[in-house]
Amino acid sequence: MSDEARQQAASSHDAPHYVAARVQQALAEDERTSELGVRVDVRGDDLYLRGQVECAERRARMTDVAGENAPGLKVHNEVTVMEVRGPGEEETL
Amino acid sequence: MKIRVAAVGDVHLGEDIRGRYREKLQGIEEHADVLLLAGDLTRHGTPAEGRIVAEEFGGLPVPVVTVLGNHDYHSDAEDEIGAMLDDAGIHVLRDDATVISLDDGTRLGVAGGKGFGGGFAGKCASEFGEPQMKSFVGHTREIAERWHKALKGLDDVDHRVVLSHYSPTKDTLAGEPLEIYPFLGSYLLAEAADAEGADLFLHGHAHHGTEKGVTPGGVRVRNVALPVLGRAYAVYCLGGEDPESC
Repeated sequence: MSDEARQQAASSHDAPHYVAARVQQALAEDERTSELGVRVDVRGDDLYLRGQVECAERRARMTDVAGENAPGLKVHNEVTVMEVRGPGEEETL
Repeated sequence: MKIRVAAVGDVHLGEDIRGRYREKLQGIEEHADVLLLAGDLTRHGTPAEGRIVAEEFGGLPVPVVTVLGNHDYHSDAEDEIGAMLDDAGIHVLRDDATVISLDDGTRLGVAGGKGFGGGFAGKCASEFGEPQMKSFVGHTREIAERWHKALKGLDDVDHRVVLSHYSPTKDTLAGEPLEIYPFLGSYLLAEAADAEGADLFLHGHAHHGTEKGVTPGGVRVRNVALPVLGRAYAVYCLGGEDPESC
């Protein structure tokens, strides 16, 4: 979606449901993020992001992309950075 | 004849985490005999990311077999990425099969590929109506038919594993929103494993799912998506009747 189309969408369909959907699509399609598994919730003037990513840089970029697609809302980035442990115990099948 | 199978998917490598996964694979030969990767190796499916995958998983002391995932297709460079991985000694399954022979003579057959969606029996899409819908479901059906053939060809192995990106069952999707199940897998993939026989079905893709499930026909399923495992790889021991034997 172009910036112009995005702004037009933002101004004409501001119901929270559409804002959350737009942000979720942007997080998936924007090359800075490409994150498909993020939960997006809008409550009043607040937007919440929840999920897991591989590093802090990827989490930070999500705040930028969400903010650009939800003008006027405060973005609360509650995404956690995954901690990858060692292989642990094996399972016998 | 037992074999220790390490598996992980959805590592989503990119420039920003270059080199970090390799560290976690140190000493893998002490834990496993083979490493299977369940797709989504990259974020955007670019050749640059493919090179990082080849660096991180190439030259390991155990054989590595992989499938690609939907992210690895995003930049229409899946063939180039596959060739890079082949060159790095990583065997890429393309709806076919390969056999890994261990020094002790144990033979592991691995069949599979990316897989695709469509949903699960009773609540799935059909090849009916618009060409787009027929194409969507037909893609999965064609893949499943190729998996039947690939599994049939594995007639002289000790163990058989199906490696996929998409899920064959709802069991391992628990935790994902019900509404997106048809985009996470298809029962047609399970049907291939159940009809031809397999010891284990590995998949990724469902980051919010759960690790353990079973197909309708009783094949054990493990969702090895990295966010589900929370560990560098899981290890499954096949053929180890005695829990201490692996």
